[in-house]
Amino acid sequence: MNPYKSYDARIIEVRELTPREKLFTLKFLDPKIEESFTFIPGQFVIVDIRGYGEFPISLCSSPTRKPIQLCIRRVGRLTRFIHKLSEGDVVGIRGPYGNGFPLEKMEGSTLILVAGGLGMAPLRSVLWYAIDSGKFEKIYLYYGTKSYEDILFRDEIIYLLKHGEKLNCHVKLAYEVETPSCVYLEKGFSEKVCKGLVTDLFRGEHFDVENSYALICGPPVMYKFVIKELLDKGLSPGRIYMTLERRMRCGIGKCGHCIVGTSVSIKYICKDGPVFSYWDALSTRGLI
Amino acid sequence: MRYVKLPSENFPEFFEKLKEIGKVYAPVRHNSIYKFDIVQDLSEVALDYTRTLLPPKKFFVKPRDPMFKIKGEEIVELIEEKSFVLFGVHSCDIHALKILDRVYLSEPADPYYKARREKAFIVGISCMPDEYCFCKSLGTHFAMDGFDLFLHELPDGWLVRVGSIKGHEVVWKNQELFEEVTEEDIKNFKEFEEKRSKSFKRELSKEGLADILDLAFGSRVWKKYAEKCLGCGNCTLVCPTCRCYEVCDNWIKAYESLRIRRYDSCFMPTHGLVAGGHNFRQTRLDRFRHRYYCKSYFDPSSGFNCVGCGRCDEFCPAKIEHVKVLEEVREGLI
Repeated sequence: MNPYKSYDARIIEVRELTPREKLFTLKFLDPKIEESFTFIPGQFVIVDIRGYGEFPISLCSSPTRKPIQLCIRRVGRLTRFIHKLSEGDVVGIRGPYGNGFPLEKMEGSTLILVAGGLGMAPLRSVLWYAIDSGKFEKIYLYYGTKSYEDILFRDEIIYLLKHGEKLNCHVKLAYEVETPSCVYLEKGFSEKVCKGLVTDLFRGEHFDVENSYALICGPPVMYKFVIKELLDKGLSPGRIYMTLERRMRCGIGKCGHCIVGTSVSIKYICKDGPVFSYWDALSTRGLI
Repeated sequence: MRYVKLPSENFPEFFEKLKEIGKVYAPVRHNSIYKFDIVQDLSEVALDYTRTLLPPKKFFVKPRDPMFKIKGEEIVELIEEKSFVLFGVHSCDIHALKILDRVYLSEPADPYYKARREKAFIVGISCMPDEYCFCKSLGTHFAMDGFDLFLHELPDGWLVRVGSIKGHEVVWKNQELFEEVTEEDIKNFKEFEEKRSKSFKRELSKEGLADILDLAFGSRVWKKYAEKCLGCGNCTLVCPTCRCYEVCDNWIKAYESLRIRRYDSCFMPTHGLVAGGHNFRQTRLDRFRHRYYCKSYFDPSSGFNCVGCGRCDEFCPAKIEHVKVLEEVREGLI
């Protein structure tokens, strides 16, 4: 078996989330693979556009819901290409790769999801897994976005703002750029939506730090600030998990692009991650 | 291990017999450098070479390596490997292949590398160090495994160590070429090794190096050398354990393309660049330091990622010396 060979998957739905991001729903052509493909939230796949190249992307659907979905931002050559594809087109998918969030260990605890921008994509996988499985005490989602137009999965977020409590899920949203739509949203959910950064959202909040896990994903600059706030709240570094991004070519620890760390603590983001705890970040230089 | 003797007069015939396995690649002189190239006759081989420009990794992790042929949506694997002989490999390069094995053969194994590794017949050869070699200090100056046959020079022939079943088979089939090892041969072998052991001029102090490097992340020495470094990536290309690759799809016909992987270097600014423009290793300092950390990665079961072959020093246009940089980092810390 060649681990670099991808399986054919058909795009069965393309949804425009924002002007830059599209949500692709994919189904493997081989029913056996479609049936057996499972993953842990936080894992990623490599999308293969034959003749153009491959790129890694995190799975944004929950393993409890099939078929799989990928939220792709148009940001480079290959993502520009996939944005041109439509329903019925076939791409290659290989994976899933990486470790994913240790959700089994977290069962029975409160989950604090902190997402910034596109970081919402992998955390959406955790969010719906947590809601669907019902194995978690409480779910908090703190989502920082640039503007109303940039809110990913806007319909789901608004649905959770409205009805989240029934699902044991508490959502809060921060936006940076004020637009009429944001102001309108803020009026509707004055307790839950505000102008500011994602860290502003949970600054005054109280968590049961002994029984909570924080899961973070966002742009590289976000981690340090979010982690500082969480540590200030008394959360142990072992209860803070983050998923990281690097240039990944192979996904299986061969190509060497995603190596981080120094001599004794070298790690591959693709194989040892992309999910790391803050303990890992403390012992691996250059991780965040 | 089995030891046999190959008398000098039988050497050319032994070499001819190797051709039965497949194409024979051996070090040949090319202007001022040596390179592994296909050879027809023993006279072409530079038996006393120092080091080749590109290490033997080029036969296993190729500079340009087609992986798949893509025609429309169809994707075809391109794994077809023929047996070949790699003749005259130095022990540091054998150790380097073992380091590559740990990466490429760990699960899931790389099928391209694995196929080539299985098809290769490796004949090691003893060498004398030059001013760049520091393999002794890393313990890679003598290979205990990782070869099929290993030739040690004697005054009247070669002491041959048989390192694998494939090696045994060759000796078995050509018994008439080999002799039993005598006391005299063992004495000569020992003398040669002792002389060789004393000839090393350069030494890398690996005592606590991994921890020292961890502590010296902010050392000024990195900055000093990063400014001197040209960022050309030569050291990574010639390094026998550097293995970063990049994948790209190249169109060869209107409806057909090849997925090719090719050498990449952590000295290239694009190495850590992700879509969207964020670069995880933006400055040359970041990239320069990263290579030293990667080479000095210490695996308790296998040691460092560097085998002390001295290629990065010899082929560095800025004359940066690996051992010197690490020594200065160590001194700067205390």
